[in-house]
Amino acid sequence: MATQVFKVPDIMIDGFKFGFCPGCDHGVAMRLVAECLDELNLQENTICASAIGCSVCIYDYINVDTIEAPHGRAIAEATGVKRAKPDKFVFTYQGDGDFASIGLAESMHAALRGEKISAICINNTNYGMTGGQLGPTTMVGQVTTTSPTGRNLEYYGYPMKIAEQFALCDGVAFSARVSLDTVPNIRKAKAAIKKAFEYQIKGLGFSFVEILSSCPTNWRMTPQKAHDRVRDEMMKVFVPGVYKDILESKQV
Amino acid sequence: MSHIVIDDKQCKACYLCIDECPKKLIKVSDKVNNLGARPVEFYDPNGECLGCAMCATRCPDLAIREVYRG
Repeated sequence: MATQVFKVPDIMIDGFKFGFCPGCDHGVAMRLVAECLDELNLQENTICASAIGCSVCIYDYINVDTIEAPHGRAIAEATGVKRAKPDKFVFTYQGDGDFASIGLAESMHAALRGEKISAICINNTNYGMTGGQLGPTTMVGQVTTTSPTGRNLEYYGYPMKIAEQFALCDGVAFSARVSLDTVPNIRKAKAAIKKAFEYQIKGLGFSFVEILSSCPTNWRMTPQKAHDRVRDEMMKVFVPGVYKDILESKQV
Repeated sequence: MSHIVIDDKQCKACYLCIDECPKKLIKVSDKVNNLGARPVEFYDPNGECLGCAMCATRCPDLAIREVYRG
């Protein structure tokens, strides 16, 4: 008798179809979020603030109440929702440009205030939906449509290491960076997302997970090569790991 | 018997699952699906599938809908 070991999460909307480019890791990240919501039995009690960019599509795929925020303001809306309805589970799903550039003030001050919300940030080192422009996490030397000769240190400066920066904020309960390049790392990513969600349920403070993802279309690579780049280039600069965990007294 | 269920209408032909399968039981189909892509198909004549679900964990489009083990 065969037992079922994998199924589509119950919380996914019936008949959904991911609209991402072939090989994009957004689908994996959204599935992990959906599996965590399923396992923590949060479907009826969740409000999601969706951001701008490819990550906005979350309300087409995951069947929870969602509000749409203007560019970068998902965390600000999530703050309002959580303060008005403290018993609800509130999370945001954002890209790196949205979280760490357009909405950096909102994101960082929510972290400093220790708002009891969870934030998932997809780091693909560019602005994916708008055509691959230079973003806050674009790596030194990386060619994008707005840095055709590569990210130049003298002109653009250094990329932002989001998980480390947020770990320094005192209101943060959990800050981690995970990668989706291999199956073992996907399993670790799910564990980190689940932990971040549990920390909000326990009311410990702001919980944050940065997910290293590939963007094969804008990197002009095959999905396989894009994962090689995540592994060989991105993970050397954006090192995965747990940067803050107040229950395991891991402080920066 | 361990096996997987692929929804070929969801497959966007990124072929990440082909590299992932430890027994190499997933191959590119001869057919073309509604997206104009050649989806993957499960080919396991000797019952080698382990039901490890690595292909399904990797699939970014949830085209591998179900995995059974045992």
